[in-house]
Amino acid sequence: MKKVIAREKLPELWKSLAAKGPLFLPIQEGPVVLFQPWSEGAEANLDAVNTAVSAKDVFLPREETYLQYRCSGNQLELIPVENAEPVIAFGVHPCDLKAVEMLDKVYLDQEPSDELYRQRREKTTVVGLSCREPDPFCFCNEFGINPADAPGADVMAHLKNGLVLLEARTDKGKALLDQAGDLLQDGSDEKFEAAEVKTADFGLNLEGLPENLKERFEDPVWDELYKSCLGCGVCTYVCPTCYCFDVEDFGHEGEGQRFRCWDSCMYGHFTDMAGGHNPRAGRKERVRQRFMHKLQYYPETFNEIACVGCGRCLRSCPVNLDIVQAIKALGGETVEQR
Amino acid sequence: MAERNVESVNKVREAVSQDLLGGRIDLLLGWEKGHYWWQSRPLFARSEADLEKLAWDSFCAVNLSRYLLEELKDHDKVGVLVKGCDARAFNRLLQDNMVRREQVILYGLPCPGMLDYNRLVEKAGGAPLEITEENGRVIIKVGSGEQEAQRDDLLLDKCKDCRYPDPAVYDQLLFSPQGEKEVTERFKTVEELEEMSAEERFGYWEKELSRCLRCYACRQACPFCSCRECFVEQENPRWQGRAYQPSENFMFHLVRAYHGTGRCIDCGECERSCPVDIPLQELNRKLIKDINELYGDYEAGLDPEQEPPLLTYRPDDPAAFSEK
Amino acid sequence: MSAALNETAGGWEPLIVSFCCNWCSYAGGDLAGTSRMSYPVNVKVIRVPCSGRMNPMFVLRAFQRGADGVLVAGCHPGDCHYTSGNYQSRRRLSAFKRLVEFAGFEPERFEVRWISSSEGDKFAEEMTSITEKIKALGPNRKMRDARWQSVTSKV
Ligand code: SF4
Ligand code: SF4
Ligand code: SF4
Ligand code: SF4
Ligand code: SF4
Ligand code: FES
Repeated sequence: MKKVIAREKLPELWKSLAAKGPLFLPIQEGPVVLFQPWSEGAEANLDAVNTAVSAKDVFLPREETYLQYRCSGNQLELIPVENAEPVIAFGVHPCDLKAVEMLDKVYLDQEPSDELYRQRREKTTVVGLSCREPDPFCFCNEFGINPADAPGADVMAHLKNGLVLLEARTDKGKALLDQAGDLLQDGSDEKFEAAEVKTADFGLNLEGLPENLKERFEDPVWDELYKSCLGCGVCTYVCPTCYCFDVEDFGHEGEGQRFRCWDSCMYGHFTDMAGGHNPRAGRKERVRQRFMHKLQYYPETFNEIACVGCGRCLRSCPVNLDIVQAIKALGGETVEQR
Repeated sequence: MAERNVESVNKVREAVSQDLLGGRIDLLLGWEKGHYWWQSRPLFARSEADLEKLAWDSFCAVNLSRYLLEELKDHDKVGVLVKGCDARAFNRLLQDNMVRREQVILYGLPCPGMLDYNRLVEKAGGAPLEITEENGRVIIKVGSGEQEAQRDDLLLDKCKDCRYPDPAVYDQLLFSPQGEKEVTERFKTVEELEEMSAEERFGYWEKELSRCLRCYACRQACPFCSCRECFVEQENPRWQGRAYQPSENFMFHLVRAYHGTGRCIDCGECERSCPVDIPLQELNRKLIKDINELYGDYEAGLDPEQEPPLLTYRPDDPAAFSEK
Repeated sequence: MSAALNETAGGWEPLIVSFCCNWCSYAGGDLAGTSRMSYPVNVKVIRVPCSGRMNPMFVLRAFQRGADGVLVAGCHPGDCHYTSGNYQSRRRLSAFKRLVEFAGFEPERFEVRWISSSEGDKFAEEMTSITEKIKALGPNRKMRDARWQSVTSKV
């Protein structure tokens, strides 16, 4: 099913789509663009290449209550949380959608799977959006991602000459376009292909990297690489393939809620244990964890490197320590030894 | 700029290499280039080969003094390149007893102000290929030609209202001082916010803070945040919950800013580090402004001998509440 | 302390949290009591050793958990049991008061007063006055934890 809509008509489309449940869009929030639920008056920005924080918020929200509890006497009552209403994620770029597939492997493809994640994922309709002009930090090509197409999308969207072309690829996608009804025109005459996009070429050599890293836990490269890291966690919070969370309670007098929220391996307390031991005592161990996870542990289990080249860590790390630097340092470039 | 750059980076290299290779310092904290010409990252130099990578250009924003907290654990004597703000950061650490003066050699770099890549893009209307600088002007090359702009219009926010671009403390000053700068807009936004009604101000902060990821990068980058255990991670009492509730956002931001009362050196590293551009400087500057108004002018980090305003008092101090 | 306390079905009564220094203001409160002066039940007193003990996080926590107004009371300058506690807190709480106002709190929501142990009347007056002012302002929503409310309202 192929449809088109003029860009100036989009606010009407947002309104109609948002009527049925949350509609996530890249939204201009002051100086930055963030993936957020649209509401009347919000300014969608489809021209932004990458949102400051990835689209994973839709699938793995930064905060999610999963249990409410109430105690009276010695009775404990657990109140399950129903939190999966149908969601539309509109404007997810190919790198971010590829990253969601990586999250799927973690949260769905292993036993036991994550029920909250499953509900959310199943009820979300994804509208992929092709990229026209990458920003200098984008390097998804290095991971074999085509910025012109997001294969996992329910609907694929392209921006072209003041029009948005929409192609439904799944039943969910068709239902979404049906929902928009008369707002969309027939698009069977339009050419639904985005031009090829070339992203930054950092000359990476990923071939055999995960295998090669197996033996390099104690490599002297780590003694240098971590040094500039502030341990701020920005890289992990903005990254679409980072998926760690923490669990916390909020309660009062025997009643409350348990929620999970994003956490980061770059923080010291992430591995704090009862009794005071911390197996990742310093920044070196934490930096190693982050990069090893992306480049060795994840690939060892799931057969692909856990980076999609979205470039967010390149853009946002306050000290410009990023995955490309790590790959280069690990991929043969010599690091001066003391 | 290319010429000036080569010349000036050579001068810096010359100055530090004598000390590093001669063994006067064990480590030099400097900058090296990142993937692109507009990026720099900290350089931890121990050898001549390391010094080859040294950079000193218009993109060396990262504050190096903070790394002393870690590096002094492993080294007896460390050399640091310091701009105006980095030198004040050093004084902050000194005053907080986090470093000892004799462990550090400071190479002072009077700072022309660092440029903001996003401003270059904005001015050039596209990704800039390279820039050249001369006499306070910047020529930005883009695919379709050239754009010229005033250097002052391209500065990072943290540099725009920088009053003391010259290092307040150093062992060796490598270039001629810039002199104290007249800043007119330092408290402009604070004043605009003060003009609003309480309701409007609350709305402003609620919206701005709603973006906060609570990654605490602002804290990690900050030279005054050197507490061994921050209130944010304290378990008992648990002051700061992790939920993304407005209430928790305010808790973090008010307390972080407040901990900087009379201590914040106005270096802007917090704001520069924030991935979602939260205007943290307005909170910091509000406190600077109020302290100045209530207890006399004070610039944190300028003079380590001067008592910080919250560590002292006078019996006849004014108060911001009724004392009747 | 609970939000249910100040928002009952019958209407709204402000909750004022007052941190009183042990040596002067808390004693002033005692005097007010023994002299049979009355002050509003809306004020919940928390005793601190000295106004210099005040951690601003106490104030913010009170707002998070349902306070409509917060008052810190200490000895008059010069009379602090620990000599300089209140001179220190005068500077700290002045900066803090302006900061919370900058964040959007109405100035009346957070106050500081000097009340000596012999000023039972002043204690009663100040407690009455802040209660009246907060009544006029209405309930405080700023910084109140929404989850706290949903937890306590169901109780
Ligand atoms: S790598 Fe960069 S972004 Fe990540 S924790 Fe370290 S300093 Fe922060
Ligand atoms: S590691 Fe960096 S480039 Fe790779 S997916 Fe994460 S944020 Fe994007
Ligand atoms: S750096 Fe920004 S997003 Fe992170 S905690 Fe600080 S203000 Fe929030
Ligand atoms: S609060 Fe911000 S401006 Fe102040 S010293 Fe810390 S990093 Fe610098
Ligand atoms: S926010 Fe406060 S407690 Fe935390 S590190 Fe900074 S000064 Fe210390
Ligand atoms: S003892 Fe009362 S203020 Fe210090």
